[in-house]
Amino acid sequence: MKQEISALMDGELFEDEVESLLGRLKRDTSARKNWAAYHLIGDVLRQPEHIHCDLSAKVRARLSEEPTVIAPRWHVAKQRMRAFAMSAAASLAAIGLVVWMSLQIGNEASPQLTFQQNALRPVNMQIQSKSNDYLMAHQEFSPSTDMSGGAYYMRTVSYSESAMQEKNKAGTK
Amino acid sequence: MSDKEVDQQLVERVQRGDKHAFDLLVSKYQRKLGRLISRFVKDSAEAEDVTQEAFIKAYRALPGFRGESAFYTWLYRIGINTAKNHLLSTKRRAPTSTQFDAEEAEAFEEAGLLREVSTPENELMSKQVVGVVQASLQQLPEDLRSALTLREIEGLSYEEIASVMNCPVGTVRSRIFRAREAVAENLRPLLETSKGKRW
Repeated sequence: MKQEISALMDGELFEDEVESLLGRLKRDTSARKNWAAYHLIGDVLRQPEHIHCDLSAKVRARLSEEPTVIAPRWHVAKQRMRAFAMSAAASLAAIGLVVWMSLQIGNEASPQLTFQQNALRPVNMQIQSKSNDYLMAHQEFSPSTDMSGGAYYMRTVSYSESAMQEKNKAGTK
Repeated sequence: MSDKEVDQQLVERVQRGDKHAFDLLVSKYQRKLGRLISRFVKDSAEAEDVTQEAFIKAYRALPGFRGESAFYTWLYRIGINTAKNHLLSTKRRAPTSTQFDAEEAEAFEEAGLLREVSTPENELMSKQVVGVVQASLQQLPEDLRSALTLREIEGLSYEEIASVMNCPVGTVRSRIFRAREAVAENLRPLLETSKGKRW
């Protein structure tokens, strides 16, 4: 663990190792003392003429009187805000779509229009009967009677056995 | 994970209610912040109080810290403002001839301007700590001493040290740890005996 503390203060640990080690440092007082001692050594080596007393005990004592700070984790809060904004936008879009569709269906299925459609039905029937007469008159041009329509372009061929025999006899003579 | 990312992890832990994580940040930055504040507040006892106050202010303000700048840059700004406010409250003038921001302060290492006015007790303890660390360093085997020096004084990464020392990165990691631990072993009795006093 001491070697990990040494590597941690040099910024030479991987993220998962850091997370684990900081958890252990939270629980282990002697580990925190090692952290403090290693930092003191570094400061002495860098600036031996500016070493002053250890303030951490005094700061710790004053912190014990302070209420514990709890802050939202900004990146988590940002993610939550983004997710909330996205879901709110999706919900609004869905509500808008449902309202629009209900308005459309409402217009089509309104009682007035149903009445009008019923009133138009006899007219439609009249049109249908007229069109039937027209179709009957021009049935030969109808696509459903293609064969009769195509008869104009065909030659009718018949076969008679007696006629064929006579023809053969005449040929042998 | 880089040093700044480790700081960010610690900050997030504090923001989730972990006071021990803030303790680690105090251990790490107290001397740097103290040096910075002593530029403004010459009296060592006052400078110590202002440094403490700056850490408490930072702790209170941490819920609003979003990690848009490095933690130490943010902390140093708080330190400068706390020092200036202290001078205003005691009707003394903050130094204006050498204005600097937090990042410049990090790079500012001029011994003459960072001089502290120490009490005899504090000075003695500081000298003892420095003496033990330097003596321990001299007693280290050459490879351990070089690895620790390249890391702490030159600020090289493990990979760069491995390249300089022509050895694997794992060996560098091990050497730096062994060097620190050997020095810390000599330092612990001093730190323990002075517990509850100045150290």
